[in-house]
Amino acid sequence: MVSRMAKGSPTVSEPTYFILASLLDGPLHGHGIIKQTLELSENRVRLPVGTLYGALDRLAAAGLIAVDREEVVDGRPRRYFQLTDQGRTLVSAEALRMQQAASVVTKRILRPGSAFS
Amino acid sequence: MTVVTEHRAATGAGAGVLERRYRRLLLGYPRAYRSGYGGELIATLLDTAEPGRTLPSARESFALVAGGLRTRVIYATERPAWVDGVHLGVLALSVAQLAMLVPYATSVPLWVGLSALAVLLIMRGRVRLALPVVVLVAVKVCAITLGRPWLDPTLLPVDPDRFWGDGSLYGGGGPVAPMIGYALAVLGLLVLAVHGGRLGRRSWFWLPAAPLLAGADPAGLDFPAAGGSHATARVALEIGVLLLAVWAGHVAHDPRWAMAAGVYLTSVLAVYAENLGAHSERDLAHLAVLVLLTASAAAVPYRAKRHILL
Repeated sequence: MVSRMAKGSPTVSEPTYFILASLLDGPLHGHGIIKQTLELSENRVRLPVGTLYGALDRLAAAGLIAVDREEVVDGRPRRYFQLTDQGRTLVSAEALRMQQAASVVTKRILRPGSAFS
Repeated sequence: MTVVTEHRAATGAGAGVLERRYRRLLLGYPRAYRSGYGGELIATLLDTAEPGRTLPSARESFALVAGGLRTRVIYATERPAWVDGVHLGVLALSVAQLAMLVPYATSVPLWVGLSALAVLLIMRGRVRLALPVVVLVAVKVCAITLGRPWLDPTLLPVDPDRFWGDGSLYGGGGPVAPMIGYALAVLGLLVLAVHGGRLGRRSWFWLPAAPLLAGADPAGLDFPAAGGSHATARVALEIGVLLLAVWAGHVAHDPRWAMAAGVYLTSVLAVYAENLGAHSERDLAHLAVLVLLTASAAAVPYRAKRHILL
């Protein structure tokens, strides 16, 4: 999996990873994504609105997310975004890649007899 | 589409002020984007703002300015790349050519005026109208560099207005480089005129570039002796615009800005070729930076295509 991700697949930044992860449970609008991203990242990824919508445009252009529906709230339009199958596959693959990468270290430091155990 | 009523974080008179300021920051986005999604962005910005805030945070302001620029670059790629690249390159070249004439405005007002008209027409995408104007200016420039009284009896040498210091028009170099520069502009306009497709209108931000570039003689080298503030302003502007070209190529994965940079670089290379042996170390450093940035602008779209950073 690691080698497949390294070649040919897009590189996913941390904000993008959390945006995609925030949509795993269902469609969200811009403010919802910001709140969910903040919560999932334990307050590490605080997305400015300008950055969020730029990322959403790029992810939609890459076919990883799509607009689920539109609402009008207090006279203003609001789009709800959802993951596409391609987006779900990408974020799952990225999670597995990071899990495997993390295990390279955690297996060693948690091994009985290692300096960190 | 569903209609819902909801309470947002920023409310009251303060929210009105904040909304106005956010709207100003959104002016960086293309008009079409603002009319489609501006309301949605404003709603999200007001939803995420702390209660009582009337001034956008520096972080949010920077993100909106950067987002606006990035969106403008993406929207600019809707036109065919090569047509747009040639158009942009010819515009940059014509601005540099106008800048060269600006210090001599009182001596050759007609030709400075025609050169400014050519820039305006090219900016507005009217290349068929611009073509004869550029040809006229090109003929006059050739006449001046060759010391011939074509089109009007301009007295040689053409001295600059007092503000710009000394150095007669085309006094710092030979006739070949200016001719190549104008030939490139005419050729580019011819290609665009024959193509015949609709060209985009360029930003008015191109106009202030002419006075900024003025005073550094593009017919000669930029640092023949000690340089000076005009040469420094010209080099700083060139580097700034080329850095934007590299960034735009990276963001949009598109070679049009590299093509435009290539057109401009060709005219600069002609100057260096004509002045072989007379280059100072700073001249060579200047040329190396222009070549490096143009090559980077050409390389980043392909690198970005292979290595998409989401």
